[in-house]
Parts: sequence; structure tokens; C-alpha cells
Amino acid sequence: MSRSRWIFAMVAALSVGAACSDNPTSGSARAGTLTLRLTTPHADDGAMTFEVRGAPIDGATAVDASLRLFTRRVDGSTMVGAVVGNLANGAVVTLHVPDVGAAARYTATVLEMADRQDALRASLAGYALAVDP
Amino acid sequence: MRTSILILLAVVVATPGLAQTPSVRSWRDAVRQLRTAPTARLTRRSAQVATIATSIVAESEPNNTVPTADSVGLGDRATGVVNPAGDVDTWFLDLTAGQFLSVDVDAAQVGSPLDATLELIAPDGTTSLAFNDDFDGFDSRISYRVPQSGRYYVVIRAFGASGGPGLTYAINFDKVTCPVVGTEQEPNDNPGTAAPVAIGDSGSGEICPQDDNPAGDVDYWAFTARAGTTVELDVDAAALGLFVDPVIALYASDGTTQLAFNDDEDGADSRLQYSIITTGTYYATVADAAGSGNPFPYMLHVRSITPGPGDPITVRAQGLGRPWGLAVGNTGDLFVSDLTGNRVVRVSGQGVVTTFATGIPTPQGLAFDAFGNLLVASTHGAVYRVTPQGQATRFITDAGIPIWVAVAPDGRIWLTDLSDRSLRRYSSTGEFEARFDAISVGGSGPGPLAIGPSGDPYFSQGTEIWKLANGELRRVLRSAFIIWAFAFDVAGNIYAPAPAAGRIQLFDATGAIVADTFAIGPDAPQAVAFGRDATGATVARLFSTDPRVGRVFEVNPAGVAHPGQPVGYVAPPIPLDVAAASLLGGGGLSAADLQYLDALGNNNGRYDVGDLQAYLRTVGALAGARSNR
Repeated sequence: MSRSRWIFAMVAALSVGAACSDNPTSGSARAGTLTLRLTTPHADDGAMTFEVRGAPIDGATAVDASLRLFTRRVDGSTMVGAVVGNLANGAVVTLHVPDVGAAARYTATVLEMADRQDALRASLAGYALAVDP
Repeated sequence: MRTSILILLAVVVATPGLAQTPSVRSWRDAVRQLRTAPTARLTRRSAQVATIATSIVAESEPNNTVPTADSVGLGDRATGVVNPAGDVDTWFLDLTAGQFLSVDVDAAQVGSPLDATLELIAPDGTTSLAFNDDFDGFDSRISYRVPQSGRYYVVIRAFGASGGPGLTYAINFDKVTCPVVGTEQEPNDNPGTAAPVAIGDSGSGEICPQDDNPAGDVDYWAFTARAGTTVELDVDAAALGLFVDPVIALYASDGTTQLAFNDDEDGADSRLQYSIITTGTYYATVADAAGSGNPFPYMLHVRSITPGPGDPITVRAQGLGRPWGLAVGNTGDLFVSDLTGNRVVRVSGQGVVTTFATGIPTPQGLAFDAFGNLLVASTHGAVYRVTPQGQATRFITDAGIPIWVAVAPDGRIWLTDLSDRSLRRYSSTGEFEARFDAISVGGSGPGPLAIGPSGDPYFSQGTEIWKLANGELRRVLRSAFIIWAFAFDVAGNIYAPAPAAGRIQLFDATGAIVADTFAIGPDAPQAVAFGRDATGATVARLFSTDPRVGRVFEVNPAGVAHPGQPVGYVAPPIPLDVAAASLLGGGGLSAADLQYLDALGNNNGRYDVGDLQAYLRTVGALAGARSNR
């Protein structure tokens, strides 16, 4: 490779790297909503606590008026919440985030699950939460 | 009062009539009294008085056995002495099938210290046909129709196998005959032959199994009553000094539809009240509950009772067995313990009755705990806890005979325990905290229990209501009747059901009587409770159970001056966001709050999301969910 071609290649590579960076303060971030989706092996879930972390979250709302949602911000990129009501497979919470492009950075975890008779699930096997655009 | 031994005990102790003591008069005196009573208007001489003895036969010892029995005949008067201790005197007489034998002892009634027992033995010399201890005071009597001709034996002993030279007796051997006594006119064993009696008047007669009526005597009385009248039928027989057990019933104009029945409301005597709906002729019947065969005289009083401000009553549920305790849920539904079926039923605002919980033996008092569960006192040694879904489990098990239960505003549970006659206090989650002796207040309690306006427990010990405050017992009021499960209104007035009197009484906060007859409509009001509206607020509506007729009724709301005092637990003011934040690690709740929330939910020893769900449901913050509290 000639010296000039080597320099070009480096500049090009740096340019691509810069374009792929995820800087929330960059002018390319787009605020919006993400959806927290539940996968459950049971048909009688009544209440859940969960944690979402990985990137900033501005707020959260329940997807359905029949659900009651309570949240608490732990730090800049972690939120815990409790949602109570008739839970089922599918969307349960809407997350309001400053950059929907950062969806892949979020992880969500079920912390506790109770059935509709208030009994705590002894096992969380089969449960999953996903953060979807 | 055959529902439970406990109730019987309570009533026996508190009701002089049941704690029957021998009269100093004989049944013949009672008959004579009827004959001379102004209201009796006897028309003919009573041949019920024993026939004058044709001969007096003295015993001849040894006569302790059937083979050595002394001989007597009908109409004879046998005399003897039960001496020494353990002595047995045996007599025999020959009878013809169908004869109605009367064997009547005169001993204590004529001054002898003998408390006799009497036994009739069949011709085989061994089979016991009848036994009697006390009929006429301590004196015994047997009336028995012999089924076959033969030689019958009569054995007299001293109660407790005592004996002595002074224990003399006489036995009158005769036939039972049933002539007219008092104002009755036999035959009067059906509506068509009923003897007339007017409201405000009394009739008198004798229950006497006749030769042509082996099933026993039933005396019918007919009276006319106008709609709106509350009549009281009151029969006195045991009150005349006899160990007898009359029953009374009221029948409709068709003569066959039984409207009301009572046994033992007034000691062994009976009494009932009934509100007449349709003007017409009604029938009262008097009969013998014990079926001993011994004739006895009685007086029947037919009265009209002035209604109170709580009259007329309205039936809210019927067809129950023996509805007893009563609690009102936070949506206005009534919860009733039903001794028949050992269950708790739920009565909706529309009067629909559904079984709420089963398997609770002898359920008595009811109260909602701090967590929306229904507590049910069972005299079988436990307070049961019933979830809003109707699942019952034994909850408090260290009380011997819990009879009533109440929940204070702080959530603490109070119960009365008849096994050691105490009040007991428990935490909201059922841990024992304290015991308070209630023997010192006398009576037969503590029985029914309620929390007063100050948050202190009040209880009935029979005819009195007492209050426990700061460890001190203080009498609040005294009634002429046994008081069952009472209720407070917001002004502190006390509505007290008196089942034996067939009425609800009203007292003010000082214990002074406001209305001796607040409501006379119910037959035997047992437990009263104020209603609640759909928001759970207590309202000015008063409900009562009536076990005698298997009903739940409501008194006239126009007569209820104040709403009821709120009952049960008052939830601590925990904001929802604080309850949730604490669950999510934000703190803000005390250890007691956390314990409360856990007990409200799954009670697994820590506060979790299941408990938050329960709290949201309890305070009505969860769509489509309600608790009973």
C-alpha cells in the first residue's frame, strides 16, 4: 500500500468509527419510547417488580389503564418499577427515553412476580423482559 | 336453646327460669290455683286431682326386689320409708293393656327430707319402662300407658342412694284421667275445636294425654287479631313450680301453617311474639315438649304489644337454619354465621343468600380483621380466619371456648372465652397479648362483645353490659333481659337485642334506657349490626339475625336516629407512592407498617410485590378489585 493510500484508508476508517459512535449528546439522538414486553409461563400473574438498566430513562408509563405502575430511579441509567394488574404476555410498560437509537443497550429483568392471589412466585423460570423499539 | 352447650350454659346461668328450683307447692296446689284464679274461670271440677285413695298400704320389708315386692292396687296409697341408706322399696300391681297408670310420690311436698326417684318395670321384672326424678318439686311422678296386661313393678329409691328413718313417703297409684281444667274445653286438639281466648285475656288448661289420644295432648286456642298487631303468647307451667316443659306455637288462619314456635324462651316455659300481617283468626297451641306423659296445668297469656320506633321490621333474608352472628362487609353485604350447617353465609343487598364459608363448627361471633379476612369464633376451641375468597382456616387456637370476637380500630383482636370466663386480646396478626378475668362481674359471660366509641371492648355477661378500659371493668348498663350481640351508633347509643323478650332495646351512652321496646317485631333477635353503603361507610340502617325463624331482618330505618359507629380496623395512612417506593428500595415505612403490609398480603415474613397488590386491592386502588373489609 502506498503511503497516500494508507492515509486515506485510516481517515476513512476513523470516519466510519465516528459515525457509529453512540454519543447521547450528539445531535443525532432521537427521544422517543421503547416498549417493555413480558414473556410469562403463567396465565394468572398479578404483580411484578422489575429493573431496567443500560442507558438513561426519562420516565415510564403503563401500557394499559388497568395496570398500576410505580417507578424509582436508582441512578442515571437504572430504574426499578412495580406494575400491578392482570399481566400477560406482551407489552406492559412504555419507557420514555432520550434516544430510541440506544434500544440495544437496555436490559430488563424480572425481580419478583406474584400471582393474582398475592402469592409470590417461588421461581422466575420462564419469565423474560425485553426492551423493544 | 338446644343449639350448643355453651349457649345453654350461658342462658341457664343468666335465666332464673332455667335454673329451676323446686317449688314449695305441689302440682295439686297449682291446679287449685288455676281453679281459683280470676282469669281461669273454671267451669268444672278438675278430676285431675288424684282420686281419694281406697286404702292405705304400708310397706313390708324386705321389699327390695321384684320377687319380694309389696302388692297394691289402683286407687291405693302406699306408704313406706327409705331406710337405711341404699334401701329400695318395690311395689307391684296388676294392670290391663291400655290402662294409663299414674304413680305419684308425696314426700318432700309433705315435709319428708326424701328426694325420691321412681322407676316403672315391665312384667318381665327387669325391663325399665319409665323413670322420673323430679316432677312436683323433688317428688317424682310417672304417667305411663301400659301396652299389655300383666304385673308391673314400681321401685322407689332415695336420690344419691341415701336413706334414713325420716325419709318417709307415700305413693298414689291411680289412672290418669283428663277432665276439663281451667278455661279450655276438651276436646280441643284441632283448630275446629279450639277454645276461644281474646287478646289481653288468659286461658288455662291442662296438658294431659288422654286415653283416646296416645300421641299426647295438644290444646288449641283461637283468637282474632288485626293486621299490624304484635301479639305475644306466653305460657306458664314450669313457673307454677313443676318440672315440665311446655311448648307453644302459632298457626295461621288455615290452622295448619305454622307461623312461629318456641320452646324454653322463659326458662322451661315458652313465649313468642309475632307481628300480624293479615286480620283474621289465629291459633295458639300448647303441648308438652318433654313427652313424659305426666299431665300438667298451665296458663296461656295472649297479649298485644305496642310497637317501637324500629317497627315494623322487614325481612332481608330467610330460609336460613339458625342465623346467629352478624358482620357487615365494606360493600354492604351481610355475613351471617349459621349454626345449621356450620357455615357462614353472605347476604347481598338484594337479599340473595350464598354460602361464603363452610366447615366451621358452631360458628358464633363474626368480625372483619385488619386485612379484610372474616374472623369467626367457634366454640370448638378456635377463631377461624376466612379469606375474601371464603377459605377458612383455624387461626387463633389457644382459647378454650371462644364465643365472640371483635376488632378494634388499631387492628387488635378481642375475643371472649367462656372456658375461663375471660376477655383475651391478640395482635392484628393473631399473637396473644393479654387476658382479662371477667368472672368478677358475675352473670354467665363474658359473651357477645363489641368495641365502643372509645375503642375499648364492651361485653355482655348476661343481663348487663360491661366495659374494659385501662384494665378496669365498669358496668355500663343493666337490662331486665339477657342481652346478646349489641351495636353502637355514632352517638354512643347501644342497640341491644333481647331474644328471650323478643325485642331490641335501646340505651343511651350512659346506659339509661331510651326505648324498652325499640323493636318488637322480631321473634328472637340475636345479633345486631349497622349496615354500610357501597363505599364502606356505616349508615343508619340496623340489621339483626333471628335464629328462631331463620331470618335476617332490618328494623324500620325511620326509627334509627344515627348512623352506626364504624366498626373494625382503621387502616393506617400509608400513601400508595410511599408503599410502592418502599418496596422499590426507597424506604419510608416503619417496621410495623411493613409487618402490616405483609400480613395484608401473603404473610411470608417480608414485604413483597404480592403484598403491594393486596394493599392496592384493600384501599380500592386496583381496578375491578374490592376487599370485604
